[in-house]
Amino acid sequence: MKIGVFICHCGENIGRTVDCPRVAKACEWLPGVEVSLDYKYMCSDPGQNMIKDEIKKKKLDAIVVGSCSPHMHEKTFRKAAVDAGINPFLVEIANLREHCSWVHDDIDSATDKAIDLVRMAIEKVKRNQPLTTIEVPVTKRTLVIGGGIAGIQAALDVANAGYEVVLVEKEPSIGGHMSQLSETFPTLDCSQCILTPRMVEVYQHPRIKLMTYSEVEKVEGFIGNFNVTIRKKARHIDEDKCTGCGLCITKCPTKKKAFNSFEENLAYRPAVYVPFPQAVPNIPVIDETVCMYYKNGKCGMCVKVCGREAINFDQKDTLVTEEIGAIIVATGYKLYKIDKKPDDSPIKGYGEYGYGKYKDVVDGLQFERIASASGPTSGEFKRPSDGKEPKKVVFIQCVGSRDESKGFSYCSKICCMYTAKHAMLYKHKVHDGEAYVFYMDIRSGGKMYDEFVRRAIEEDGVKYIRGRVSKISEKDGKYIVKGEDTIAGMPVEIDADMVVLATAMIAQQDASELAQTIGIPYDKYGFYNEAHPKLRPIESTTGGVFLAGACQSPKDIPESVAMASAAAAKALVLFGSDKLEREPVVAYVNESLCAGCFYCKKVCPYGAVEVKELKDRNGVVYKEVAYVNTGLCQGCGTCTATCPSKSVELAGFNNEEIFAQIAAL
Amino acid sequence: MEELRKLAKELLENKTVAAVLGYVEIEPKRTKPIVITNPEDAEKLVFNEYCLNNLAVYLTKARIKNLAKQNGSVLKLGIVAKPCDIHAIIALIQESQLKREDVYIIGMNCGGVAKDFGLEYGADTLASKCVPCETHKPLYSDTTLGAEKETPKVSDEVLDKIRALEKMTYVERFAYFKKEFDKCIKCYACRAACPLCYCQRCITDKTIPRWIESSPHSRGNFSWNVVRAFHLSGRCIGCGECERACPMDIPLSLLNRRMTETAKEAFAYVSGRSLETPTLVGSFDVKDSDELFM
Repeated sequence: MKIGVFICHCGENIGRTVDCPRVAKACEWLPGVEVSLDYKYMCSDPGQNMIKDEIKKKKLDAIVVGSCSPHMHEKTFRKAAVDAGINPFLVEIANLREHCSWVHDDIDSATDKAIDLVRMAIEKVKRNQPLTTIEVPVTKRTLVIGGGIAGIQAALDVANAGYEVVLVEKEPSIGGHMSQLSETFPTLDCSQCILTPRMVEVYQHPRIKLMTYSEVEKVEGFIGNFNVTIRKKARHIDEDKCTGCGLCITKCPTKKKAFNSFEENLAYRPAVYVPFPQAVPNIPVIDETVCMYYKNGKCGMCVKVCGREAINFDQKDTLVTEEIGAIIVATGYKLYKIDKKPDDSPIKGYGEYGYGKYKDVVDGLQFERIASASGPTSGEFKRPSDGKEPKKVVFIQCVGSRDESKGFSYCSKICCMYTAKHAMLYKHKVHDGEAYVFYMDIRSGGKMYDEFVRRAIEEDGVKYIRGRVSKISEKDGKYIVKGEDTIAGMPVEIDADMVVLATAMIAQQDASELAQTIGIPYDKYGFYNEAHPKLRPIESTTGGVFLAGACQSPKDIPESVAMASAAAAKALVLFGSDKLEREPVVAYVNESLCAGCFYCKKVCPYGAVEVKELKDRNGVVYKEVAYVNTGLCQGCGTCTATCPSKSVELAGFNNEEIFAQIAAL
Repeated sequence: MEELRKLAKELLENKTVAAVLGYVEIEPKRTKPIVITNPEDAEKLVFNEYCLNNLAVYLTKARIKNLAKQNGSVLKLGIVAKPCDIHAIIALIQESQLKREDVYIIGMNCGGVAKDFGLEYGADTLASKCVPCETHKPLYSDTTLGAEKETPKVSDEVLDKIRALEKMTYVERFAYFKKEFDKCIKCYACRAACPLCYCQRCITDKTIPRWIESSPHSRGNFSWNVVRAFHLSGRCIGCGECERACPMDIPLSLLNRRMTETAKEAFAYVSGRSLETPTLVGSFDVKDSDELFM
């Protein structure tokens, strides 16, 4: 076997710490190596041409490239090998960058290690088998998880391109947090007015199957071929019969039984409810926890008033399975809440701000509802405790964000903008009111964003104070806000009527659970990880699963919408071909050695292992062995690790190859 | 004894079973396994405190399996089994090596067996596996025979000896087993006697690649015995046949018992006790403790 070795300097990335010419020279004399060369940029056109030329000139059978991670350029070098007539799986990458030069300082020992890494790759490639790629069909349907603005946008884009979409939303209505907002920065257009047409479009779209009050329970399969189980929670109202007249809601006697979570607990709702008047679908839900019928079997007022006989107390959750090709995760965020009982809250801190204790200390979303024309105060500024118009409002930024000791170290990104908006909205309605903003820095990068903040300060007279607030206390119906003006270098004390905390955007409570269900990675905060922070910000590391909106990191509306459209485009790229090419790194069974214990079948996460009957020449079954369905196998290797007799192996990573690699050390 | 012989004869005569795996006495206090296919030979069968072998090991052997195939039809195999042997049968069924309908289990009520042949059976000569035994009655059987018995009470001295290993630190344990494994001559009697070592080709016999050094050298000895213990963890039913078969007297069941205890403590699972409980290896529950790994 003739092997070519190509050592890349990666500019200075490898060359700085690894003596590449020495590596190439050392490999020249290894058994099987026909040619060993080094070059500044092996991935460049001249570099690739060098590989191709050498393959042809020296009639090479296999190549080893000492370069960056195979994640980066394995494809590039495989392509070059294929162009020159070599099977792509006879290309091995020795990772001299991430595994060597980037993590070492000493040139001599790093070079020694690099030689070892290349030697290992040479021993492996000697035993590599030529493999052919596997083709699998693509189901051209998309699952969008989350019906906020990101999910809505993604669903509409995919559906408008001609493909079917299943949109799953866990709340009774789509719309998400955007439907709660009063106005949006930097143009101050009404949030509902721009959102509801999109919601209606989703509802009426012939290719969108909308499933509200539903949650994704199980995801099986792989890119292009997911099998998703969705739990449709019992609404206790027949969706086909209900006309959305709302009589049940107005007649329900449990008027003030439950907090209205759409109004951020500033108002109450009955047991049967729609979250807000423009809800899509406009079909109410019966909340079992407060409904009198479920308490004592009595009442049934809704049944009496419903002319359509749509109420069904016995309705149960149903499980629906959908065949899906691509998944777009757009589950959004939640706001950092300082619990009323801080002992119970997973998030500690800011007890000194009195949130939950003082009624007039509210968070950003609560303030949105107070400012909203459809909110509990019909858009008039009234503080929650006594309904009086607050004449002095203090806004505090960075509550829970950029604060490692009490909250999270990341920047919540949107709070600078929405606080400016809040202060502005307040000043527009309460002309004689005073608005103070405590800030750390003003981060207003974005089109028309800084202009917007300047307008709040200069035209609307919002007073910005650079500094943190140390304590809020109540005195004679006023809230004494003690802080520091770090520019003036003086302590500040403001007797406010109301305080608004710009609390951080955090990951949804069940974000990690959903991630485990789908099989995507998440960071320490619970935000979903993108495949590459710069070049693949939309894809998760799991094939066929894309991310949109604030589930990935804090985002404002335009960013979420842009990301949603990008995720839709990624799904459409997937649907661009009928067959999907997959790497042939799949498990295979040595049938003569398999003892048929089927532990491999039990541990396979993809259900790819089946039972195969071996028959003798008379057609009599003499043995049952494991069989791997290559269409389902993802090459995770769990079966190979489990098999006690090592009768199942992974193509491209079989025991012989790996052993040779280790033995070369 | 008579009822056992009568049942075996009947089963063979009416073709319920193709063969009966049982015990035959070759001298007082010593038995050996026998495969009976002729109803006349059922007279030879015995069952007593010296029926040490776990006959379940034969159920997966091709020669025995082939006995069941007669004139195109497949009959059952009869097996005389102590309650602990039945655990092995259950494990084999769960690991797809056997179907329940393939075997006719003649379950024997059991009060324990002797440590070895030729010893006077009593509290001091009780096999160590019988000391903590909780199943004196078969959990699964087609017919259960014999009077219910209790295991003799064992003196604290014997118990202490059995538990000596648990009191060691892990450094001491490692040294202890290293010393014990040094005795290994790689005869693989442990593997041959183990009902759950049914692989067609054992990992230690593989040469490409060679996983385990095959010469009786301490390095290979250690890997072999530890790999075998790992392959049995969560699977070993505790029949102790490996230890009894070992010509070098390596206390193999101490190792296996420790693994069994670990599985029991962490996952409340003991192998071979129920056909309904999924096997520990190969079943996953999010509520599973991960303390073992952290």
